[in-house]
Amino acid sequence: MSNGLKSEEILSVALSKGRLQDAALELLGRAGVEVDGSEAGSRKLIFQDRSGCFQFFMVKPVDVPTYVEYGVADLGVAGWDVLLESEADVHQPLDLGIGRCVLAVAGPRSTARKNYRELSAVRIATKYPRITTDHFTRQGIPVEIIYLSGSVELAPRLGLSERIVDLVATGRTLADNGLEVIEPICDVSARLIVNRASYQVKRRAVSRLIQQLADSLNR
Amino acid sequence: MKTLTQVPLGTQVLFGPAVKRRRRLERLVFNIFSRWKYEEIIPPIFDYYDVFSRGMGAELEEALYRFVDREGNLLALRPEFTSLVAKTVATRLQDRPKPLRLCYCGDVLRYEAPRGGRQRESFQLGIENIGGERIACDAEVIQVAMEALQRVGIDRFQFNLGEMGFFAGLVERFGLSAQDLSRIRRLIDLKDPVGLQAEMERLQLSPRRREVLHALLHLTGNSETIDAARRLVRNEKSLSALDNLAGLYAELRRRKLADHLTIDLSEVRGLDYYTGIIFKIYVPGLGFEVGSGGRYDNLLKNFGCDLPSVGFTFFLERLMALPLKLR
Repeated sequence: MSNGLKSEEILSVALSKGRLQDAALELLGRAGVEVDGSEAGSRKLIFQDRSGCFQFFMVKPVDVPTYVEYGVADLGVAGWDVLLESEADVHQPLDLGIGRCVLAVAGPRSTARKNYRELSAVRIATKYPRITTDHFTRQGIPVEIIYLSGSVELAPRLGLSERIVDLVATGRTLADNGLEVIEPICDVSARLIVNRASYQVKRRAVSRLIQQLADSLNR
Repeated sequence: MKTLTQVPLGTQVLFGPAVKRRRRLERLVFNIFSRWKYEEIIPPIFDYYDVFSRGMGAELEEALYRFVDREGNLLALRPEFTSLVAKTVATRLQDRPKPLRLCYCGDVLRYEAPRGGRQRESFQLGIENIGGERIACDAEVIQVAMEALQRVGIDRFQFNLGEMGFFAGLVERFGLSAQDLSRIRRLIDLKDPVGLQAEMERLQLSPRRREVLHALLHLTGNSETIDAARRLVRNEKSLSALDNLAGLYAELRRRKLADHLTIDLSEVRGLDYYTGIIFKIYVPGLGFEVGSGGRYDNLLKNFGCDLPSVGFTFFLERLMALPLKLR
């Protein structure tokens, strides 16, 4: 390489524990980055691929953008919802198409049809205060956010708030709690994200991985 | 009173070894600046709002600390030094022999979330080179930055070099609204080909234009990138930007500095006052650029004196995060 830098060929990748974990590893496998099943399944938080070119961190989904923005991980796989909420300053070269669902406003079946535009203010329980505030204020509707870190669908049943903003995959969780989608906000799927400095300093290795992933997505 | 003991978000206090380390770092970098005959200037910490708001771009303008004085004048705390240096040169020093070489160090204040080693109050160290011959001064400024890094023990670094005129020339004839253009810029900045494709379809850009913008995402690499870019465009502005970049590259190669360069025409983010070359400085192991710079040939005109200029600044907190040799 003509560049004065010795290229560091090892890339570190932050992956989301939980919902996206298996799909992300499967996708990486198809792109030629193979991880021993025993490594990935062993609940280790840090492990390598077979070639030793990649190191993986398993972190909480909401933390993936943070690790990548600060360059602790060169790359990451994060849901679009998490990314939007974090406002992390990172490159987003690929939509990986996994973990597809919808971020939506939902409410009890009985009142779902009632137009909340006519309320003086809407009260929403959510894990996504930033996206929710943005969604409502953009339409000129005052919103009161009740931040919850999980089990958001319980909020209407327990009388905390009539409506919620949350991810909807099949709609079953909503239905089980007597809720339905009032209004979709945006489609969600997992993105590949890249630290801005790593994108430049480890450009070869990063571009190669992006290309491999893109090829395997198009197959 | 709670306010007597707690600290406002975004401020910092240095003491003990951190102070020694920082003062030593400043001194070593300033040694290089003065070896190149850059003279220190100490501008005020605040000035009229208008001095800063021109040419900064909407994002940074929002980050200005604004306040009103007793006469009702709108003032702002300095978010960067370049505007203040430009104003001083245009109003007081314009008759001095050119190029004028000035350097500065001090706090800048930006109302933004503390992030990436940068507080709301952070420290900058940099130079401005005003009124000189273009390529020679661009090269000099880059050389000074490289020597300063080496002086503090950083031997491995990468300068990403771009030219604002290239992208400007490209989109000039697209006839896009400011809003659409900023969306396109944002997608290029995210390096998001899928989003870019969708946006270009929405705007009904011609297939050729789509192809060019798409190729722009990957216009990063060694000097061959300039040739690849030349095959892509026909407009005069972009072509002259490439000539300029090729000229600077050749000059830096002559100075044996080209090994540290990466040509990056996909870089479309930067203060709006930049007109020619722009560069960002990366050091392996740090997730943020440690400095940035560029040419701003129209900035002094705002203050009534038409002189071309180029400069760069280091973000001190980020340099301090690196293992330095401060001897």
